[in-house]
Amino acid sequence: MTTTNRRRSTLFLVLFAVAVLAAITVAGILLNGRAMESDFARKNLMPCLEYPFGTDWMGRDMLARTLAGLSLSIRIGLLTAAVSACIALVMGIISATMGRWADSVVCFCIDLVMGIPHILLVMLISIACGKGFLGVVTGVALSHWTSLARVIRGEVMQLRQAPYILAARKLGIRRWDIVRRHMLVHLMPQFLTGLILLFPHAILHEASVTFLGFGLSSEQPAIGVILSESMRYLTTGKWWLALFPGISLVIVVLLFALLGERIRLLLDPASAQE
Amino acid sequence: MQTKRIASLMLAAVMAAGLLAGCGGQTSGQTPATAEQAGDRDSVIIAMDTNSEPEAGFDPAFGWGAGEHVHEPLIQSTLTVTNPDLTIGYDLATSCESSEDGMTWTVTIRDDVKFTDGEPLTAEDVAFTYNTVKASSSVNDFTMLDSAEAVDDTTVVFHMAKPFSIWPYTMAIVGIVPEHAYDSATYGSNPIGSGRYILKQWDRGQQIILEANPDYYGEQPKMKQVTILFMEEDAAFLAAQAGQVDVAYTSATYSDQTIAGYTLAAYQTVDNRGINLPVTEPSVNADGVATGNAVTSDVAVRRAINIGIDRQEMIDNVLNGYGTPAYSVCDQLPWYNPASEVEYDPEGAAKLLDDAGWVMGSDGVREKDGVKAELNILYSNGDSVRQALAADLSNQLAELGIQCTIEGVGWDTAYDRALSTPLVWGWGAHTPMELYNIYYSPEDTGTAEYSPYSNDTVDQYMDEALASSDLEESYTLWQKAQWDGTTGVTQDGDIPWVWLVNVSHLYWVRDGLQIAEQKIHPHGHGWSIVNNVDQWSWS
Repeated sequence: MTTTNRRRSTLFLVLFAVAVLAAITVAGILLNGRAMESDFARKNLMPCLEYPFGTDWMGRDMLARTLAGLSLSIRIGLLTAAVSACIALVMGIISATMGRWADSVVCFCIDLVMGIPHILLVMLISIACGKGFLGVVTGVALSHWTSLARVIRGEVMQLRQAPYILAARKLGIRRWDIVRRHMLVHLMPQFLTGLILLFPHAILHEASVTFLGFGLSSEQPAIGVILSESMRYLTTGKWWLALFPGISLVIVVLLFALLGERIRLLLDPASAQE
Repeated sequence: MQTKRIASLMLAAVMAAGLLAGCGGQTSGQTPATAEQAGDRDSVIIAMDTNSEPEAGFDPAFGWGAGEHVHEPLIQSTLTVTNPDLTIGYDLATSCESSEDGMTWTVTIRDDVKFTDGEPLTAEDVAFTYNTVKASSSVNDFTMLDSAEAVDDTTVVFHMAKPFSIWPYTMAIVGIVPEHAYDSATYGSNPIGSGRYILKQWDRGQQIILEANPDYYGEQPKMKQVTILFMEEDAAFLAAQAGQVDVAYTSATYSDQTIAGYTLAAYQTVDNRGINLPVTEPSVNADGVATGNAVTSDVAVRRAINIGIDRQEMIDNVLNGYGTPAYSVCDQLPWYNPASEVEYDPEGAAKLLDDAGWVMGSDGVREKDGVKAELNILYSNGDSVRQALAADLSNQLAELGIQCTIEGVGWDTAYDRALSTPLVWGWGAHTPMELYNIYYSPEDTGTAEYSPYSNDTVDQYMDEALASSDLEESYTLWQKAQWDGTTGVTQDGDIPWVWLVNVSHLYWVRDGLQIAEQKIHPHGHGWSIVNNVDQWSWS
């Protein structure tokens, strides 16, 4: 009885998190026009009923800007996490199945990317790609695959010694077919969880790199832009410019973390029946 | 495992938030070395913006005083100075004449001037300085000078490569260095000059302390010690709030605040902001860069923009009222042509557009021959004033039926993009050369440097102005280049640039400090304020 309840509540939490994130994403897309709109007649307003998050120095609605910013972050996060996870999957499998030489090349790449401070690497790639949307996406996508690739490599190494894989090999099944039919299925829970847990990192790094001025340009409603702009107005007492967008970002990141953990619980055979 | 992961992610999120929050305040930790000293009334502490710190030191050959943001070099003397009304006066010079053809300038100098190491300043030093800056200046254009030569101890002759009537304005910013004690590697951090102040101490990234030169040949400075702190805007504000500085630069963002014991002082500037409007049809230049713009190539559109924008509204909205409307790149300077000024006339602007065939569409956007009246206005990323000006401009143009988007760009791409797209620029210098830089089209390219434009008559007036042997007369020619009654760069002329506002320079000034009368400040919110710090006083 308790197990079904636990499973059900987990499922409910997952659906709730997905619904909230989807709602933010859609609302942000719909509010994008409003977020860009400036009206100097209503500049620097404190949070009020009409503008719950207040307005900034150009009279832009901070609620619309925050939602649009989060939405943009989530979409960038989706894209980059997906790209990163795919790179990780391919690299992990290559490393573990193609022999020692391929393994050392992949491991070298992983060490190389991990050896450079993350935020610095994102900045460098972003600048090299001409900043903007493309720069941020490429930067985040090309720097986040390493830890997941390691996990997958380890998993595949372990699988290779598993009796059913050894049996399959003895039966003469080709290497690629073993990977496709026996390994990928087994890797799915790890992969999906890893994918979702990449989101928070991707989103935070997107926000940081934009905050530091190496990402999206300053009229874009991006959360990093909003936070860096708000810094200039903190000393004059305009606390609402940083507070609400900052809290919203933390909430979104936590929701993704929650989502990843719960999905792992549901998918992982070891815990699925708890 | 699971709780650990959640905990680590939460930590990461909190740390990231902390990191973001921490970044703004990192510069506020500076402590001024000589905070308020009671009873010490012949010193002053000034907070300046961090970009004002001269990276290469106090060497005129590497931009000190004569860089992008011109100001008096204080530590060194100059041959001439600009007067409060921006005409030319003398510092070291006692006379200054150009030959009839403008190819030589003969300057005689005082014979009673000594460098702070005791050696006399002679014409040799002057010639050496100019030959050095010509050879090594990376920030200033000295191509008009061929060479400088000392004829005797007090006479120096400049041989020009081409006539350059406004040479006295260049002489006003080049500090004279001692030939016997000049080493380009060390001079910047260890300057010897003959000016009003001596560099006593320089803590890189923090502060500069200047002390009055006891042997100064002119009137003794009233301020014996000047300390300049380099801080971010918010740190400067907090320093004033804490009473640690006597003068702190600030901006319109802070202008609605009050600090007890301080007054907000606003100085008029020619630190203007304006947009370029490419006058040619879209095409691609020899370097493969897109130039020209289908909308702004119509002179009616450019004229409509010039009279269809309410500059005062921009000043109130963006600058909290601290600014003046701008009508040219050189408002109120001796070479300014008052014909540049226009009245705000939205109906007139609409009529201009109607007459030119820009028909208002049902969506509120005008259209002519299938071309929609749409503009993308660029501004430099991270500059909140330019961004707000671009946004306000875009709102105002929407009322005229010209739909605008705004886009932040970095300076690495901005110059190329501006050839086809309006960009919010900032100009304003104490020399008419700026008109030349913006509007003149050299023969080899046939187009002005920053935005496609060329007008032979305008070019001719500027050539004549530079060739003129009389400075006063050249002012008239510079004015004619702007508008001569039939053609020019003003509303009734080609109007290739529309000027928006002059941004007033704002400072928190401690009560009791008398800041001497300021010249119209040029572009750059830095050293201009201390041009005459020697005449400041406490009451």
